[in-house]
Amino acid sequence: MPLTATCEGLHKQAVISGELNALCGQNGLHRAFLRPNDEGDEETMYILRYMKTARMAMLGQTNGGLLYLIPGILLKLFHLVPLMFLWRTVLADGVDAGMSMGQMMTYTYLSALLSDMLAVSTVATLWCYEGQLLDLFLRPMGIFGHLVVQTAGGWVPMLLSFSLPMAAIAPLLGISMVPASAWFFPSLLLCVSLGFAIDFLFACLMIRLKNSNWLIHVIRNAVTALFSGSLIPFSLLPFGLGPILALQPFGSLGGAPLSIFAGIAGPGRVVLLQLFWNAVLWPAAVLAFGKSQERLMSYGG
Amino acid sequence: MTFKRLMRLYALYAKMDFAWLLRDAWFAVLAIVSEWISNIAAITGVFLLAWRFDGIGGMDKFEVLLMLAYYTVVTGVFQLFFASNNTGHISRRIGHGQFEHMLVQPVPLAVQLLTEGFIPFSGSSKLISGVVIMCIAVAKLGLPVTWWWVLSVAGNVAVTIAIILGQSYLYSSLAFYAPVQAEEISTYAIDNVGYISSFPLSGMPVYMQLPLITVIPSGLLAWFPTLALLGKPPLGLPGALPLLFAVVLAALASILFRKGFRYYVQKGTNRYLAWGHRR
Repeated sequence: MPLTATCEGLHKQAVISGELNALCGQNGLHRAFLRPNDEGDEETMYILRYMKTARMAMLGQTNGGLLYLIPGILLKLFHLVPLMFLWRTVLADGVDAGMSMGQMMTYTYLSALLSDMLAVSTVATLWCYEGQLLDLFLRPMGIFGHLVVQTAGGWVPMLLSFSLPMAAIAPLLGISMVPASAWFFPSLLLCVSLGFAIDFLFACLMIRLKNSNWLIHVIRNAVTALFSGSLIPFSLLPFGLGPILALQPFGSLGGAPLSIFAGIAGPGRVVLLQLFWNAVLWPAAVLAFGKSQERLMSYGG
Repeated sequence: MTFKRLMRLYALYAKMDFAWLLRDAWFAVLAIVSEWISNIAAITGVFLLAWRFDGIGGMDKFEVLLMLAYYTVVTGVFQLFFASNNTGHISRRIGHGQFEHMLVQPVPLAVQLLTEGFIPFSGSSKLISGVVIMCIAVAKLGLPVTWWWVLSVAGNVAVTIAIILGQSYLYSSLAFYAPVQAEEISTYAIDNVGYISSFPLSGMPVYMQLPLITVIPSGLLAWFPTLALLGKPPLGLPGALPLLFAVVLAALASILFRKGFRYYVQKGTNRYLAWGHRR
């Protein structure tokens, strides 16, 4: 059977790859291959693999030259500026929105600056669709770890070329870039962590639906935009929807750190909810991905 | 190419779409449901805001709903006629090196582009939801629905679609010169301009409104035509402004697309390797 042969072939490759890694590691060749002049221990080499992957992902964003970042920056500005004017229009008449104009501007501005981190999107679904995901099984790194550093590395160019300069000029625009609470930082970390878990769950859903990546993309974008609070703060929603939406898992994504930063929400409840959803969804993601592996081998990926 | 032949082609694509629906019903249902979810989510946020603050920038909450409905109908019509086979996102066809495949077909190029994207069964959910929301908004606003008002809506939708396609084809001309880099330029032209289209621009300063109905015509895709349909075109401009814009854009797109196409015919594409695989 061709399918069986393919699976066996991949299995053999994985075994050979593992044996080679072990052999190279014993002889110091592996170390030399990764970093010729490095004399660090195995633990350092383990970390180095991930750092190198992140660096490659970072450089991958600028392979065509730094000029290729400009369209992305312009698009971010194009999304940000009208949105800020929309909020000025909405809050112009001094209506009671549960937050000041300054808080709203900070919320929106920071949302644009950290957009990649507030709605984490790894290459898992794309690579599954393009048949590259299987390659990860042949590399001497964990699948999750690889995808995490690959994604985080890809954020760096935009953070340096867009977010950092924009944060620097924010005070000139009358926008505060000082967090209302230091809990913003752990909250952002938990938001990113939860974002990865949710991304892996969507990847599993895609594997389950046999490469329906467009459907997953459509559903995911729609649900995340509305239910994460990154675009519209929950406190602005009518019918008491805000407190209810804050309880669902997407509510612990972008809207959570942003509301802490802007001082709209108290950190205690927000961070606890983030911890809860991380504790629930990470094991679910690991379990679901484990169960998806056989399907991935059978249907491709 | 007769009108009868055109209709037969539409029927053919409708049949193929229906066959796809029957072949993988589970996938088709998922596709339709995901479009519904996406569509409702796209407009819910702005409408909830309008509800909470009883309107935005001088627009009543149901006027905002009408604008969102108009936007949904426009994206629905686009989905229905131009989503399949990337006839709307034409830079993908060019960038993939698939444009010349159309030249060997025994049907004129324009007719292929007009008919290939038709997916009445799997691609009509947005249009249906848009029409339903529009009916609700019209009823809540108490608008008198006359035959000429309905025709006016249809005409405005056609003009808006022409603007969307005009932008897509205008920017896609670049894909003839740089197929890899500009492969997704239609997506940027359509989706990113469309993102702002669901925002009511009323109440924003004029120096913000003007660029958004000229340089980046997001405001012409829903906000301007909706206010024109309500009998109060913004900024004291004539209600026919989108039509004028569409004509100029179409002329410009036509010139540049043909120029790019001539370049493509002379130089070919570098997307294929000698043994036929795409780079």
